[in-house]
Amino acid sequence: MSATKGRTSSFTRNVLSASSSQTPGIKCGPNGTFFVSSGISDLDKILGGGIPLGSLVMVMEDAEAPHHMLLLRNFMSQGLVQDQPLLYASPSKDPRGFLGTLPCPSSKDDKLRNHDPQQEKGLRIAWQYKKYFGENQQSFDGHRGSKQEFCNDFDLRKPLERHFFSGQRVDCVSVKDSPNLVALQDRCTTFLAQFPRNDGSISSVGRIAIQSLCAPQCTHSNMEWDVLSFISYLKSMLWSANAVAVVTFPPSLLSESFCKRWQHMADILLSVRAIPDDDKELAKLLTGYQDMVGFLNVHKVARTNTQVPLILEATTFSIKLQKRRFLVLECLNQAPIDGSSGASYGTSGSCSGSSKTGTLEF
Amino acid sequence: MQNLKDFTANFPNDLQSLKLGFLLQTQRSPSSQNSPSIMAESICRTLRDGSLEGEHAPALTLTIKDTAASPFGFDVFAYVLSQLSSFILEGKSQSRSVQLQFIRHSFLPETAPFNIGSSLSDAERPMNSTVCYRIQILDCYTDPLGWKGKLVESGNAMCISDEASSVTHLCKDVRDLDNLYSLILELGKGLAGQGKAHFSVAIDSVNEMLRHASLSRVAGLLSNLRSHDQISCIYWLLHSDLHEVRVTSSVEYMSSMVANVEPLNPSASGQRWDSENVSLLKQNFQKGKLNVRFKRRNGRVRLMCEEFHIEQSGINFTPVSSEDGTINQGLLPKVQFSLQLSEKEQTERAKVVLPFEHQGNGKPMQIYDGRRSLEDNKNEATLASTGNLQRNEASGEGEIIYFRDSDDERPDSDEDPDDDLDI
Repeated sequence: MSATKGRTSSFTRNVLSASSSQTPGIKCGPNGTFFVSSGISDLDKILGGGIPLGSLVMVMEDAEAPHHMLLLRNFMSQGLVQDQPLLYASPSKDPRGFLGTLPCPSSKDDKLRNHDPQQEKGLRIAWQYKKYFGENQQSFDGHRGSKQEFCNDFDLRKPLERHFFSGQRVDCVSVKDSPNLVALQDRCTTFLAQFPRNDGSISSVGRIAIQSLCAPQCTHSNMEWDVLSFISYLKSMLWSANAVAVVTFPPSLLSESFCKRWQHMADILLSVRAIPDDDKELAKLLTGYQDMVGFLNVHKVARTNTQVPLILEATTFSIKLQKRRFLVLECLNQAPIDGSSGASYGTSGSCSGSSKTGTLEF
Repeated sequence: MQNLKDFTANFPNDLQSLKLGFLLQTQRSPSSQNSPSIMAESICRTLRDGSLEGEHAPALTLTIKDTAASPFGFDVFAYVLSQLSSFILEGKSQSRSVQLQFIRHSFLPETAPFNIGSSLSDAERPMNSTVCYRIQILDCYTDPLGWKGKLVESGNAMCISDEASSVTHLCKDVRDLDNLYSLILELGKGLAGQGKAHFSVAIDSVNEMLRHASLSRVAGLLSNLRSHDQISCIYWLLHSDLHEVRVTSSVEYMSSMVANVEPLNPSASGQRWDSENVSLLKQNFQKGKLNVRFKRRNGRVRLMCEEFHIEQSGINFTPVSSEDGTINQGLLPKVQFSLQLSEKEQTERAKVVLPFEHQGNGKPMQIYDGRRSLEDNKNEATLASTGNLQRNEASGEGEIIYFRDSDDERPDSDEDPDDDLDI
């Protein structure tokens, strides 16, 4: 999988390159957009560079697994590490307690993923033109240098140092006891007023993280139309601000029509799913099943200022925790079919859908 | 440890109570005929182990769900309660005491159909000179809406003697959930004493609570209980067909384990009473399946299934007879063939010697034909059949004789495709 090189066409827009060099958390994207990192470098690659400024990311939770918390944690930590103010809303009584579980960026010694240049060198051809390859390599390394600051690797076992969130940068809201969403809406308004979008340079970027909107213990969970109008309000506010928002919600607790409406509101729509434990069928089907903790589905990717859709190679990724510390998203790969068992290609459920394992899409 | 005769003498003449009353005796006696249940034991053990410090919502919660087709939820609830009580009494569990709130069945000492009676007698016995009770009962059954109190006040009924039992507390208004929450906490803390000892909460029926209060208030109460530091585990019973799906899924959302009580033959229920169906229906009256979904901390879901059998002596669990695949049909994703290499595979690939590559060691060039290592030059004997290709010698066996088509053709050396190679 080649990394996005940032230049997909020979035309480049006359963007203000000065702003991106000053603020390390922002990257220039195609078509005049700016990206912020989601905190997970694999997810940034999947989304085409990161989360575009002004977009609303919605994550559909699975009632049986807390994977949306992993995504939220990385997102929030990334913002704090890059000095981006954060507004966090949650249905618990004490949202500040959650900040103690945010992961810390891992030290440079633990670099796990440096296989990109290695792959270039790994292809050995006895070809006399190899000596001309050197210059391409250098330009690639240059890209990598800037990428390191854009997205950090987070060590989920180490908590984030307190000085990152003890200041004024983090604002926490509890939606549990409030009778409706008016209070949250006001807080969002005042927060987003700090980041107006002008045509000038981008001074700072804000992040909003809302966890479990419409959780059953909140009073507003009965008021579906009000919640919908809150989401559309948030979306319109984001569009005129230099900020991104990540909202997670439990789709199984909403009525179907509202669930659909919410999904249409999202610019980027992801969903997480739990996987059964010790499932022999899945272990036979997928490689690396032992390390997986869940699946991530990408339903929608934001495309701003363009009419060209982004067609992903794969929409389902496995969530793995490498060494129980680093969050990694990987494509699902089929396990090698055991040739000795004598089962034909069709019955192991790969190309043709076998009746036992259900339908596999290709 | 207690005299069973005295114990049963207090019981009303009720089949259910009699059946459950024997639960304790059969659990304790070593010659019990009950087969040990692996899965139900594991539920109880997980609840016993309780919460971890510093977790987001520490207390473990279990929802026991049943339907009219297989209405044995209460038996499972009673089983869990008895198991946990015995763990507590033996001192093996994280929680030191049980706070039982009942609203639908009566658990009062006189009428308790249950080993709670024995637990009470244990609990009331002071241990080590400090009066420390192991169980507290919050009685929401006798007078949930305060009607009896009002009747007494208006003089229409006799005053019911409210013995202030140290173990039972009466709740007069189940609609006020904040009050209920603080009552539960107060009683629980009273049980625990000054220290930070944990206690567990057993709620008889969530349906009754939902009858009197809205879903968000009840869910708020349950989530508050869950987030409290001193509560080790909570378990409750829910009859899922009495509410909309949304309510049931909200309650499941809040629990870390869901135990579904299902009929063995789901098709048999709800059909007309044909002769074939009757035998299946009869089976459903005594047996059923228990499907448990554990939400593990790493985010994976463990599914377990067992059959249970209601007998006079109690509930028996047996491992399920037929193993069916547990793949959720909607779960199968698009899989691709792996195009990446793992670390091990990469290092192995680096070791492979490519056929036309410079070995870079100054020896005369030798085209490696892949059949033997390069150092093995001296060993001619093994090569008799295969033949060693060397650049300046033609191979012994075959020859290629090429006849040019015409003399006008330019010699091949101009277009030698091997020019590109770096050999």
